[in-house]
Amino acid sequence: MIEKLRKLKKQLTWTYVPETEREASDAVVRNFVLHWFPSKVTSKSLSFLYTLELGTISILLFAILLITGVLLMFMYVPSVGQAYWGVKDIEYVVSFGPFIRGIHRIAASLMVAVVFLHMMRVFLTGAYKKGGKAIGSFRPLNWWIGLTLLLVTMLLSYTGYLLPWDQLAVWAVTIGMNIAKSAPFIGEKIAFLLRGGTIIDQNTLLRWYVAHVVLLPLFGVILIVWHMWRIRKDGGLGSVESLAEERIVKDKIVQKGKTYSLMGIVTGATPAIISHNVQGDTYFSSPQLTRRILIVFTISAVILLGIAFIYKAPLEAPASMIIPPNPAKAPWYFLWLQELVADTTIRIGSFTISGGFVGGILVPGVLILAAVLWPFLDKSGPEAIGVWFHKNRRLQNTVFILTVLVIIALIFVGSDMRGPYWKLYMPWQTWPKTPTKF
Amino acid sequence: MSEDKLNKNDYSPKLEITRRGFLSLIGLGFLGVIGSLVLQGFSAVRSIIPNVLYEPPKKFKVGPPSRFSEGATFLPERLFIINNNNEFHAISAICTHLGCTVNLAQYSPPKTYISRRTGKTVDETFEFHCPCHGSKYRENGNVYAGPAPLPLPWYELSLAPDGQIVVNTDKIVDHNFRLKL
Ligand code: FES
Repeated sequence: MIEKLRKLKKQLTWTYVPETEREASDAVVRNFVLHWFPSKVTSKSLSFLYTLELGTISILLFAILLITGVLLMFMYVPSVGQAYWGVKDIEYVVSFGPFIRGIHRIAASLMVAVVFLHMMRVFLTGAYKKGGKAIGSFRPLNWWIGLTLLLVTMLLSYTGYLLPWDQLAVWAVTIGMNIAKSAPFIGEKIAFLLRGGTIIDQNTLLRWYVAHVVLLPLFGVILIVWHMWRIRKDGGLGSVESLAEERIVKDKIVQKGKTYSLMGIVTGATPAIISHNVQGDTYFSSPQLTRRILIVFTISAVILLGIAFIYKAPLEAPASMIIPPNPAKAPWYFLWLQELVADTTIRIGSFTISGGFVGGILVPGVLILAAVLWPFLDKSGPEAIGVWFHKNRRLQNTVFILTVLVIIALIFVGSDMRGPYWKLYMPWQTWPKTPTKF
Repeated sequence: MSEDKLNKNDYSPKLEITRRGFLSLIGLGFLGVIGSLVLQGFSAVRSIIPNVLYEPPKKFKVGPPSRFSEGATFLPERLFIINNNNEFHAISAICTHLGCTVNLAQYSPPKTYISRRTGKTVDETFEFHCPCHGSKYRENGNVYAGPAPLPLPWYELSLAPDGQIVVNTDKIVDHNFRLKL
């Protein structure tokens, strides 16, 4: 009997214990789940303090959003007449409905925050820089994919925000569409396409629903896969480059000058040369990396569930185009833009430029453009790749952090200091009628 | 078809192809692929631009003049009908900043201000305030505070044969417009 149980256990569990190094690395390649890990990682890449595990956490959040999102799709109808009541049902009659919606909502908010922090990490460690040594290494490409992923994340949150078709939703979409409209020349056309007509109605809801549940997630998955693959292509995390550099200096490793060029298609040294430099500092992905990821997954999932227990996803009154809430506020990650659009109308004599254009298109456009071009504007050398606050990048890091602080300050002003009619109140003053904070 | 033709083994010479022919075939095929991709992309984009809209009409009756008492009346179509001694005009209630619906702020006794343009004092019994970012509009729709870039537009009014007032939100008129009865 015991023999049989033992045999059953053996059949149900993975008992594979690699005996040689070769077997261990083979295991990673052969296993379906593990094959997208590198077979070996450096100690620095494993370091919690280098990555802060932000990318891993965003992937976990994305997975949780996909699962809860599919569950919510069973109970939601994307129609102007039914959307709000569907969400109301989820909140009041569906078993565990508020819990599932709560997880979905909080994970979405957290994902915007975590993806943004991840981008900050990459910037501050200079991991987006070009000049890597592996074949086909071009880190800026992954930086751009990451920027796109940040935009996709924000769009996913924004579109998700509209689906309950409550007061918050319609006014958020009204403001969003008018910002789109304020773009010169093509603005009106784009707004027409996004609304699916000249007013915000059924067409608009359906469009944003399809974007939220099909187009954007699909695009997101493709980009994430590409993003992960690029890390391998770039020869590992940015920290590998700095580790290799360090080794060359410290251990006086003579770097092989050999360059492989495969029929003129690829140039530069192979990844093997980098890992040659960092030998003795590498570990097998399984179990070192997999174990870490499991731990991060477990802890973040527990924290997320914990928050979802106490947090209640908001739902305002049903949509009404007649009475906007006073003030109508955007979700927190767009609040800095809303603060900008409210402050940036420029008047020169009788000539006026709408704040919708300046704050909604010009400022974010410039920020995105700067981020896109940054790998080329950054003049620090390859020694700054993968090092937190490298001394050669002090100025750019300071500017970056200041920009982030301004954005955070604007979010704070928008969420905590703007009362009815968008009037400014000091934090210690009370509003006449407190609107909901996000 | 005759017997001998069926049995004839005549496929080989036809298949012989010159290098030039082969390359131009590839070129043609490539063009075909690109062309079909472009066409499909275009049709995908074009199909989601609606050709028919099922939206409420832009021109509609709002009721007999007697429905509107002196001063401004808000209508759910997001506009105000203003009755000034039986002279009517209509002002849009859609904030020109980012499209929120403006609120009516009534003043009694009237609020006095000095017009920036003419330098004269003007008495107003109502104003429009936008709840979203605090734009403020005068009685005639001109902006005097907040981020709104343009004044609230005036819509054309007319009288239907049955005596009801008709609003046309597609037609913007200037501030001299009045519907007199
Ligand atoms: S929408 Fe009215 S002030 Fe912004």
